[in-house]
Amino acid sequence: MKTSLILDRLQKKILFVNHAISARSQLPTLLNFLIEAKEGGVTISATDLEIGIIVSVPAKTERKGSLMVPAKTFVELIGTISSGKINLETTPEGLMLTGDREKAVFQTTPTDEFPKLYEDRGKSIMVLKKETLEKDFSRIVFAASPDSERPALSGVLIKESNEGFLLVATDGYRLSLKKNALQSAKKEKGEGEVSMLVPARVIRELIQMEKDEESEDVKVFASKEENQIIFSQSDTMLIGRLIEAEFPNYEKIIPTDFSTKAVFERDSLQKAIKAGYVFARQTAGIIKLAIQKNKISVSANAPSVGKNQIEVDAKTTGEENEIAFNARYLLDFLANSISETISFEMTGPLNPGVFRETDDSSFMHLIMPIRVQEAA
Amino acid sequence: MNEENNILWKKVLGEIETEVSRANFLTLFKTTVLLSLENGIASIAAPSTMIIDLLQKRFYTVIKKTVDKYTKIDTKIIFIPKIINKEFRGSMTVAPLLAQIEKNQTPAVGHLPRVRADYTFQTLAVSSSNQLAFVSATTVAKKPGLAYNPLFIYGPVGVGKTHLMQAIANEVYKNDPDKKIIYTTSEEFTNEVVEAIRNNDTARMKRKFRNVNLLIVDDVQFFAGKDRAQEELFHTFNILIDAGAQIVLSSDRPPSEIKKLEKRLSSRFAGGLTVDIEVADFELRCAILLIKAKKYNLDLSIETAKKIAERTHDSRELEGLLLKTITVATNRGTAVTPELAENVLNKGMVEEKKFLRPDEVIKNICSFYNIKETLIKGPKRDSRLVKARQIAMFILKQDLLLSFVEIGNILGGRDHTTIIYGVRKIEGLLLDKNFSKEIMGIKSLFQKRWGTP
Repeated sequence: MKTSLILDRLQKKILFVNHAISARSQLPTLLNFLIEAKEGGVTISATDLEIGIIVSVPAKTERKGSLMVPAKTFVELIGTISSGKINLETTPEGLMLTGDREKAVFQTTPTDEFPKLYEDRGKSIMVLKKETLEKDFSRIVFAASPDSERPALSGVLIKESNEGFLLVATDGYRLSLKKNALQSAKKEKGEGEVSMLVPARVIRELIQMEKDEESEDVKVFASKEENQIIFSQSDTMLIGRLIEAEFPNYEKIIPTDFSTKAVFERDSLQKAIKAGYVFARQTAGIIKLAIQKNKISVSANAPSVGKNQIEVDAKTTGEENEIAFNARYLLDFLANSISETISFEMTGPLNPGVFRETDDSSFMHLIMPIRVQEAA
Repeated sequence: MNEENNILWKKVLGEIETEVSRANFLTLFKTTVLLSLENGIASIAAPSTMIIDLLQKRFYTVIKKTVDKYTKIDTKIIFIPKIINKEFRGSMTVAPLLAQIEKNQTPAVGHLPRVRADYTFQTLAVSSSNQLAFVSATTVAKKPGLAYNPLFIYGPVGVGKTHLMQAIANEVYKNDPDKKIIYTTSEEFTNEVVEAIRNNDTARMKRKFRNVNLLIVDDVQFFAGKDRAQEELFHTFNILIDAGAQIVLSSDRPPSEIKKLEKRLSSRFAGGLTVDIEVADFELRCAILLIKAKKYNLDLSIETAKKIAERTHDSRELEGLLLKTITVATNRGTAVTPELAENVLNKGMVEEKKFLRPDEVIKNICSFYNIKETLIKGPKRDSRLVKARQIAMFILKQDLLLSFVEIGNILGGRDHTTIIYGVRKIEGLLLDKNFSKEIMGIKSLFQKRWGTP
C-alpha cells in the first residue's frame, strides 16, 4: 500500500476507533487495527467482537492494500506527532509512516485473521438528528445496567409510540424514561413500527461518535435476521448487536400519584449531595432527603466518621416526608440532567421517588429508595 | 435447542478445545450453542457477526470434522447470529424496582415460604374432635382480620394445629396472592429478634412483621421466659390488630396456662377466639390414615387403617407408622394387609422397649418404695434401702443391660463386686412368688410410662 493523508483528520478519528479495542482481549488479532488503503480514502477498523467501528479518512492512494498494525502503538504515535501530511507505505520491514520530520515503522500482520464486521448493512430504518440524539440518549443510557446478567436491563429500549419515539432504560434500581424523543428523526417509509433494544454500550459509543462528526445526520440500519444494528454518520460506522430479550413492563412501576413535591435548583442539590457523599461513601452511599417546608434537608451519617447536613432551598407542597437514596444514583441523575430546575415527587419512604425536569415534561427519572433504619 | 444437541455440542467443544488455542476457544467457541441438527445441517448460534466470520474463516473445517465424527454423517455447518442466554445460575441480580411487576407475573399457590403446599383445608380430616377449630379456621381464611382476631388454636402434639394454620395461609394466598403473609414459629420469631438486636437493625425486622396482612405464629408456648421477644410480639400484635390484619396463634395449652408469659400478652392472646383441638378419636385417626395413604398413592383398606390407628394417638406418628408399613410392603413386594401391618408394627414395639433411661428406672423404684433418690445412692445401709438398691441393680442389669461397673457408678460410686452380689441376691429371691410379683409391679410402672403394653 502507498497512500498519503492529512494527519489532523486521522488524529480525530483514530481515538474513536480505538474504543473498539479491548485491552483485555484474549485474541491477539483483536489488538490490531485493520488499515485499508482504497481509492480516495483510508479506512481503519477495529472490533472486540461485541461492537465494531470503521472510520474512513480521505487520502490520496497510489497503491491499494490492507494490513494490520498494533492498535496501541499506532494510536500513541499518531497522538504525539505533529505534521501536516503523512505517508503510509508498506516496505519489507513493515508499515512505514513518514511525516515532515518523523519516520516510523510498524510491525504488520496479515489481514486474513481480522473478522468481517458485518455481512450486510441491513435495511435503512431511520435518520437521526445529531442535536436531539445526544441530549436524549445521555439522560437515559446511564440508568442501564453495566453487566449483562439480565440482558434486558443492559440495554436502552427505543420504541415508536404515537408520541414520537420513547427511550427507556433501567438497571432495576433506577429508571430513565423520555417520551417524544429523537424529534426530527426521519423514519424510512414502509418500515414497520420500530422497537429495539440496543446495548447501553453501543448507545454510549453513539453519543461519542457524533460529537466528533460534522454531519448532522446519523443513519440507522438494522437487520433483525443478523441481530445487528449499525449507526452511520458520514465517514464513521458503529456496528452493534441487538438484544433479544423482553424489556420489563416499565409502565407499571411508574407511580401515578404523589403526596409530597419539591422543586429546586439542580445545581444546589448536586452540591449538597456531593458534600453529603463525603460521609455517605462510608455507609454504602446512603443519603437522606427530608422534605420540609421550603427546604430539603440533605443529610448523611457515617457512624465511624461523622455526619453532615445541608439545606437546599425548595418550593415544597404536600406533606413533609423523608426518603433515603444511594447518593451515587442521585449524582448520576443530576450530572446527566440538562434542566436548571428539577422537581421531585414521592409518596412514602419505600416507594420510588420521581424526578422530573421542569423544562421538559416528557422526561422522568425514578430511583428506588433505600430502606433505612428508623430511630428505634 | 434440545438436550441431545447440547450434549453433542459439549462433546464437540470438548474435542475442539484440545485443538485450538485457549484464547480462540474462550473468545470464539465458549458462547456458541448448537441450535439444531436436521437433514445434515447443523445450525450453530454465535453472538455476533464478527465471531461468526472468524469461526467460518478459520475453524469451519475443524468444526465440521468434529461434528461429522460424532454424528457419523456428512454435515453442513451454518452459523446464526443469536445470543443464547445461558440459564441463570443461583441468584439473579436483585432488581427492587421491578420486584412488584415480576412478582405479579408468577402467581401460584404453594409459593409461600415455610408453608407446605399440601397442607390445605381439603386434605384435613374433620371429626368432632377438631370440628370447631376447622370451622373457625375456614371462617378466618375467608375473611381475614374480620371474623375472629386473633384466632388461638391449642391442643396436644400431633392433632393438626400446624396443618390447620398452614391451610389458612394457603387459602388466603390462593384468594389474593398480593396479601402479605408470614408464617413463623415462636422460635424463629425469637431468633429474628435476637438477630436484629445483634445487628442493630431492629427497624428492618419491625417493618417485616408489622406490614403483613396475615401473621401466623406456631407454638407460642416457647415464648415463655423470652422477655424481649415477648415485648416485640406485644407491639407487633397491637399494631397488626389496629391495622386490621389477621393473627393466628397456636400452642399446646390455652393462653392462661402458658407459664412465664406476660399477663398483657396472654390476655391479648385470649382476646379473640380460643379453640382447642382434642386428641384425634379412633375414627378420625382412621380417616387421617386413608387421606395420607392417598398421598402415597396407596389404596389402604379400612381394616389395615384400623390396625394402624390402634397404635397411637399422635397423627404425626400415625403417618410414620403408615410409611413404615408401606416401606416394608414394597421391600417384600407384598400388598399392605392388616396382618402385615400388625406384624410390622409389633416389631417396632419391641425395639422401643429398650429405650429406658437409668435415672427413670431409679426414680420409679424410689417412688414405689417411697424413699428419696439421694438415699438410694447414699451410703446408708438400712434394710429397706438395701432392698430397693439391689432391685435397682437387678433391673439395670437385666433390662438395661448395663455393666456392673456402670451400675456401680450410677448408684453412688459402689464397687462392681457389690453390684454382682446384689444382682445375684435378687435373682435368688425371684424364686419367691410374692417377691417376683413385687418386681413385676415396679417394672409395670415405667413400662406404662413408656407406653408399651
